[in-house]
Amino acid sequence: MKAVENGSTSIGIKAKDGVVLAVEKIVNSKLLVPGKNKRIQTIDRHIGVAYSGLLPDGRHFVNRGRDEASTYSNMYKEPVSIPHLMDRLGLYVQNYTCYNSVRPFGVVSIVGGVDANGPHLYMIEPSGTYWGYTGAATGKGRQTAKSELEKLNFEELTVREAVKHAARIIRQAHEDNKDKDYELEITWCSLEETGGQHQFVPEDLLQEAIKFAQEEDDEDDEDEEDTEMAT
Amino acid sequence: MFRNNYDNDSVTYSPTGRLFQVEYALEAIKQGSAAVGITSGSHVVLVALKRNAEELGSYQKKIIKVDDHMGIALAGLAPDARVLSNYLRKLAMNSKLVFNRPLLTSKAVLSIADKAQENTQLYGSRPYGVGLLVAGWDETGAHLYEFQPSGSVLEYNGAAIGARSQAARTYLERNLDAIRSCTEIEELVVHGLNALRDTLSQDMELTIQNTSVSFVGKDKDFTIHDNEDVQQWLDKLDSTSNDKNNANDDEDDDNDEPAEGTATAADSTQPELTQEGAAADDNMETD
Amino acid sequence: MNHDPFYWGRPSDETYGHYNHAIANAKSQIPTSHTQQPIITGTSVLALKFKNGVAIAADNMGSYGSLLRFNNIERLIRVGTETIVGISGDISDLQYIERLLHQLQTEEEVYDSDGGHNLRAPHVHEYLSRVMYNRRLKMDPLWNAIIVAGFSDDRTPFLRYVDLLGVTYGSLALATGFGAHLAVPLLRKLVPYDADYEKVSEEQARVAIADSLRVLYYRDARSSDKYTFAVLTFENDKINVDYKQDLKVENQSWRFAENLIGYGSKQQ
Repeated sequence: MKAVENGSTSIGIKAKDGVVLAVEKIVNSKLLVPGKNKRIQTIDRHIGVAYSGLLPDGRHFVNRGRDEASTYSNMYKEPVSIPHLMDRLGLYVQNYTCYNSVRPFGVVSIVGGVDANGPHLYMIEPSGTYWGYTGAATGKGRQTAKSELEKLNFEELTVREAVKHAARIIRQAHEDNKDKDYELEITWCSLEETGGQHQFVPEDLLQEAIKFAQEEDDEDDEDEEDTEMAT
Repeated sequence: MFRNNYDNDSVTYSPTGRLFQVEYALEAIKQGSAAVGITSGSHVVLVALKRNAEELGSYQKKIIKVDDHMGIALAGLAPDARVLSNYLRKLAMNSKLVFNRPLLTSKAVLSIADKAQENTQLYGSRPYGVGLLVAGWDETGAHLYEFQPSGSVLEYNGAAIGARSQAARTYLERNLDAIRSCTEIEELVVHGLNALRDTLSQDMELTIQNTSVSFVGKDKDFTIHDNEDVQQWLDKLDSTSNDKNNANDDEDDDNDEPAEGTATAADSTQPELTQEGAAADDNMETD
Repeated sequence: MNHDPFYWGRPSDETYGHYNHAIANAKSQIPTSHTQQPIITGTSVLALKFKNGVAIAADNMGSYGSLLRFNNIERLIRVGTETIVGISGDISDLQYIERLLHQLQTEEEVYDSDGGHNLRAPHVHEYLSRVMYNRRLKMDPLWNAIIVAGFSDDRTPFLRYVDLLGVTYGSLALATGFGAHLAVPLLRKLVPYDADYEKVSEEQARVAIADSLRVLYYRDARSSDKYTFAVLTFENDKINVDYKQDLKVENQSWRFAENLIGYGSKQQ
């Protein structure tokens, strides 16, 4: 868990018609190619995973998820449901805590997708424990992110609005990592917007969300200035 | 970094959440001599500084060809790099055999990333002790990736690994725009060698014996140049030794370069000693 | 009495002698074999190259021997955005290949893709021919004949065949099953030489394939008149896929049947 706590922030939001995953991608060097080195990965076509902590362990986790999903759909001829997949992944992650010949996964993963029963969002930790959430956050800025997420009204939220809120929340959570530059990566999965497939949000929507996040931030700053002047 | 209770194997976390064995593996890379990679979008260049164990010994190969369109530069434990490069060669061949298409660079690096990650989570094996710069040209363009034993792989426009590589990275960051707008391979190679030169320690200089140059890109298969073939690019540099170390000797070096160039072109079989002897003689004469 | 647990429940060695292990390890006279017969089958797949594209068609029938068991089987599979795979032969193997291709798509195009690359016809064909040949080596073939239609890397039309033996070949006009005998000569009438496919227009190609399907419906006893027709074209740097289902063979004239003599109702 300690390894995870210092990792960059990831969040997930379950809206009424889909899920949104977002990651604060810390950029360590100007030499890194912008827009590449994607952090959020896909399992099958309809499930997305965002993780914080030891990134190679996250890839291992996703690779296992992909194997499980393909075995299931080969057997039952339909895409795996997210609760079922989480069951299998929870078991797999827990296995790595049983023996001294392996070490536990150094990631907390947020898994979201849409299946026959609608949108689902889960978060799984290195112990193998997982819960279903409407809003989940992990990584360095999780406290800030969690308190912001709690303010959202998930029953009414659409996936489009959720994308904008995700950008805003990541920006606020980034305060904990203020000295570094970051890139925002957002994905969504919704029957109406993406046909049930997990995809990166289109460029124009991403820019809109970033602008929204900046405006919200500026407003907050203005409010603070006003109160200062008042005193 | 000092020994502690949590660094015996890679399946133990430290109380602060670190994997010491993996971090030690990263140290092994810093012991290796420098390798620099840069890409302009249409070509990728890998240059490396070769080292020899003793004066009369051969220099350790630093750049390995994986396929006609892909190659790697290594820093760290060379045998580990051999294992990984053999694996990459198999993958590349498999892609041609099963899909009749050259292996995508991104698939190649993600595959060794996952392979390396296994060694950080299972008991009995140690993490790979080598860092790689993977350069490739495929249908999505020219790509350069940096591979680390932790299993982390990131795509860069310019990267450097090995001893004193931070100096090279600083050069690359400063010249990033110039590099990205290069249209000729030659320009790119010169930038790469300049960055490599910044990693040199005192009294060291780039010679045809210890410098390895390779490139790949649009309409160009992955080719490695060693020994005499490298002279053509060394001639294009202002100086083959690190300017910051030899602040006083700059002028002499400039005067020596063209002379050495013509001399060695003729006697290509002369060992390094003779070159240095010639330089010393020239120094005395101009002084 | 022998109380050793390993001798419980076995005939006693004293009476019957020690067990002869040659019995259990005896080699079978009959070698194990997987070679099958196709059960539900699909008939011909036809395909033709023309200027800037390929046309491919297959009917929707699944025959159980001579019984028309299924008339809603889709035998043209879309792979990625620019390739069509037409499969004839055993239908359950067709469905297995469909699954393989779907998985291939997911792995190549969805997983860890930064975009900019996709699965194209030459790759799909090479992959399928490896699969088919390796099954043949195990003497456990997928009982199919497959045609892969699409575009090469340089955007010229790509058309290639692979079957249960792992045999591959390419040509201007390809067909499987009965089509190889009846349709290919008709399709080749358009252009005598392979390299001249550039002279064939899309309209000509469409008409040629529709005509061949009609002839097959007349003469192939395992064919039906409902079919799917796909035409892939490369225009203005973009690939167009025109995928039409539930088409019917038109302009049928069965009058030729009246003139057949020698069996059935007309013996003389």
